[in-house]
Amino acid sequence: MGNTSVRNIKLGVFVLAGLLFLIILLYVIGKNQNLFGDNFQLSARFPNVQGLTAGNNIRFSGIQAGTVREITVLNDTTIEVVMLIKSSLKKHIRKNALASIGTDGLVGNKVVNIIPVRGNAATVQDGDILACQETFDTDRLLQKLAKTSEDISDIAADLKITMHRISNSKVIWELLEDKSLPENIRTSATNIQLATAHARDMTHALNLMVTDIKAGKGSLGAFITDTSLAANLNLAIEKIRQVGDEAYELAGNLNMTVGNLYNEVNTGKGPVAALLKDSVMAANIANSLQNIEKGTTSFNELLEAARHNILFRGYFRKQERQKKKAR
Amino acid sequence: MKSKSPPANNISERTYRTKNYIIASGYISDLPVAATNYYYIPEFMTPSRSWQSFLEETGVLLRFTGRFFSQCFRPRYEIAEFLRQCFIIGYRSLPLIGLTAFIMGLVLTMQLRPSLIDYGVESQLPAMVGIAIVREIGPVIVALIFAGKIGSSIGAELGSMKVTEQIDAMEVSGTNPFKYLVVTRVLASTVMLPVLVMLGDAISLYGSFLGVNIRGTTSFDLFWNQVLGNLSFGDVIPAFVKSFFFGFAVGLIGCYRGYYSTKGTEGVGRSANSAVVISSVLIFLIDLVAVQITDILGLN
Amino acid sequence: MLQTINNTRNSPLPDEDNEIIAVEHLYKSFGSNKVLIDFSMLLHKEENIVVLGKSGSGKSVLIKCIIGLVKPDSGTIRVLGQNIPELSMEELDKIRVRIGFLFQSNALYDSMSVRQNLEFPLRRHSIRLRQDEVDTLVMNALEDVGLQHTIDMMPAELSGGMRKRIALARTLILKPDIILYDEPTTGLDPITAKEIIELMIRIQKKYRSASIIISHDMNCVKMASDKVLMLIEGKCYALGTMEELQRSADPKVKKFFE
Repeated sequence: MGNTSVRNIKLGVFVLAGLLFLIILLYVIGKNQNLFGDNFQLSARFPNVQGLTAGNNIRFSGIQAGTVREITVLNDTTIEVVMLIKSSLKKHIRKNALASIGTDGLVGNKVVNIIPVRGNAATVQDGDILACQETFDTDRLLQKLAKTSEDISDIAADLKITMHRISNSKVIWELLEDKSLPENIRTSATNIQLATAHARDMTHALNLMVTDIKAGKGSLGAFITDTSLAANLNLAIEKIRQVGDEAYELAGNLNMTVGNLYNEVNTGKGPVAALLKDSVMAANIANSLQNIEKGTTSFNELLEAARHNILFRGYFRKQERQKKKAR
Repeated sequence: MKSKSPPANNISERTYRTKNYIIASGYISDLPVAATNYYYIPEFMTPSRSWQSFLEETGVLLRFTGRFFSQCFRPRYEIAEFLRQCFIIGYRSLPLIGLTAFIMGLVLTMQLRPSLIDYGVESQLPAMVGIAIVREIGPVIVALIFAGKIGSSIGAELGSMKVTEQIDAMEVSGTNPFKYLVVTRVLASTVMLPVLVMLGDAISLYGSFLGVNIRGTTSFDLFWNQVLGNLSFGDVIPAFVKSFFFGFAVGLIGCYRGYYSTKGTEGVGRSANSAVVISSVLIFLIDLVAVQITDILGLN
Repeated sequence: MLQTINNTRNSPLPDEDNEIIAVEHLYKSFGSNKVLIDFSMLLHKEENIVVLGKSGSGKSVLIKCIIGLVKPDSGTIRVLGQNIPELSMEELDKIRVRIGFLFQSNALYDSMSVRQNLEFPLRRHSIRLRQDEVDTLVMNALEDVGLQHTIDMMPAELSGGMRKRIALARTLILKPDIILYDEPTTGLDPITAKEIIELMIRIQKKYRSASIIISHDMNCVKMASDKVLMLIEGKCYALGTMEELQRSADPKVKKFFE
């Protein structure tokens, strides 16, 4: 019978080990979701919660602070979000802190960010309501980016036509007596085109990824929730947008200048000799072209940098591979 | 040559106390004819078999299941035999399950790494492996290994007991063989598989931790936090619950095939074989149903 | 004198005191295969009946009906005064304590040692015994078959003859009033078979039990039988002593003694 009791002890240890692992698992998950331990409630009212759901995380200055407990619609423009926050953070959150809805990473789960504001407000009490802050929406950013790149490509097309006309008109070049100018203009045009193509590529890649990941939903989304990575990406996109705007402006300037020139030549208003002598005008053109060149170069540099951003690395690597194969 | 003297050693003269128990169904011969009289191949594997026999087999299996439940909750309870079976079915399976689970965690991690590097989310490797193991791969792989080991051994054991009349001998010895053999084994495998799945998950995650550390270094704390930080109750509980059903299916099919084994050693082999085949298929079917149910319950 | 019983419709002799088993008008079929057709027989105290019949003639079915493993289609089986087919499982178990059954394939539990095999009926039947009583009974049973030294061995380690003897010991351990032997000498060499038969007879004398023996073995029939029963076409075709049957002119009976 001793044999039996040894067996039963082994069996007991075996079953307890299994149950222990299960309990640890459930306990830690519960702890992560703030089901156990000391909590207090805060709420915030938003006009739009952008898909936030109960259980999403709360961040206070980037620290995991709690989870969303429930979301209730108060009226057509106000939605209240009730948050469970760790009691240990109570003494750090002040009444003037702002709540905003953001994304955990670029395309991850929604989070509520509680952002401290300078000033000497009292610390929060249980059940306080925090003010909210309009937030930055990835979808809108992506739309803007796409729009910008379309604009750039339109301008580049216009510019191309103008440049063609200018370069085909030998008279003007002879009159201008500057052989480096046409070269410069052509290079600039090519650069802008290249930049536009890049920007379009990237927007496309980004859109594709966002769609994919959104379709993946839930836990899968968590793969892309690396926050530092997302910050990088946000910065990159912001820069692209800026440069795009700049290029747009520059191209506009150039278009105007060249258009003026073209008009003058065509209508014969103001003799060509006058144009030649007008050193201010020539300087203007040269200056514009230089600016464009500078702008597009930096734009390309930025895009080159973006290629090395880890999120896109895979995408561009695959493109290169395909190119190699094509060869 | 009739002897007139009274029997000297009549056992009825002794005062034996009777234990109070009722047995629901009576005779071995009550077994459905379909099961006792001719042998059966897993029907859906052999298209030549007709639908009729498939449905017949299903019906017999359902009757067997019904008999299990009707016997399961009535005394007498075979506690000692149940514990013995738990030891054999659960504890003795741990080395095999541990080994496969460990390798599975390690290999899964190493296989996933290149893809994650392509997307630049190598740092999410523990999270991904953790979710994959806990939600799906752990329960299913462990259940399949379990079906291979336990399903076949139950099928062969009961089959050979049937063929060599040991089941009849038990009945003659005042034992309800269905309770003593079938109920204990089915319950033991139902209860033991979830435990094995949990331990398998733990071992598998440890394998994965080593896999992460083959290239690159991740501390155990970070690994553990990343795995657990990305798990939710919706990942753990459905997986745990469905492993009960896996265990039940393996035990029930093993007993069913063994208990209705046909005569001869060949019948025993076939019992063991078909027990593994049918229970493996059932595991996937249950998995399919389980994922639908968790989806409906919104636990995904 | 040859006593041929064809289609016996009469009730068995009213010798109530001596009658241990009375089977009347027993029918059993498996599907369309009719195995027992209006079978009747009697077994008295301390009487050995050997049942002879072709393979598949329903001999095993008969004794399985008697012990309640197979439920007959109709008919009564009175064992120690109780009608087996009508009994609940509980009552059946009480009766089974007094019946020993030696299976053709021994039916030793492979996963248990010899000791556990022998203890099994003691522990499982509705009887309460102290550990020392169990040990004594086990040792006595092993002594009866002369295999005390195998007590801690597993059945797989034993030879065929030894296994048969262990199975016999397990059958005898409860000192039953009735022992049913299902082909006790099948698969054994003639010498071992003879030993087993001698053992059976010795034990029979010791415990004064009655028995039904199913056998093809003429040696066994000669040595062990008080009466021989011919089971032909599902009926008790002939019943008599060995000598009576050997002298029979009936061609079907004669066939067995050729």
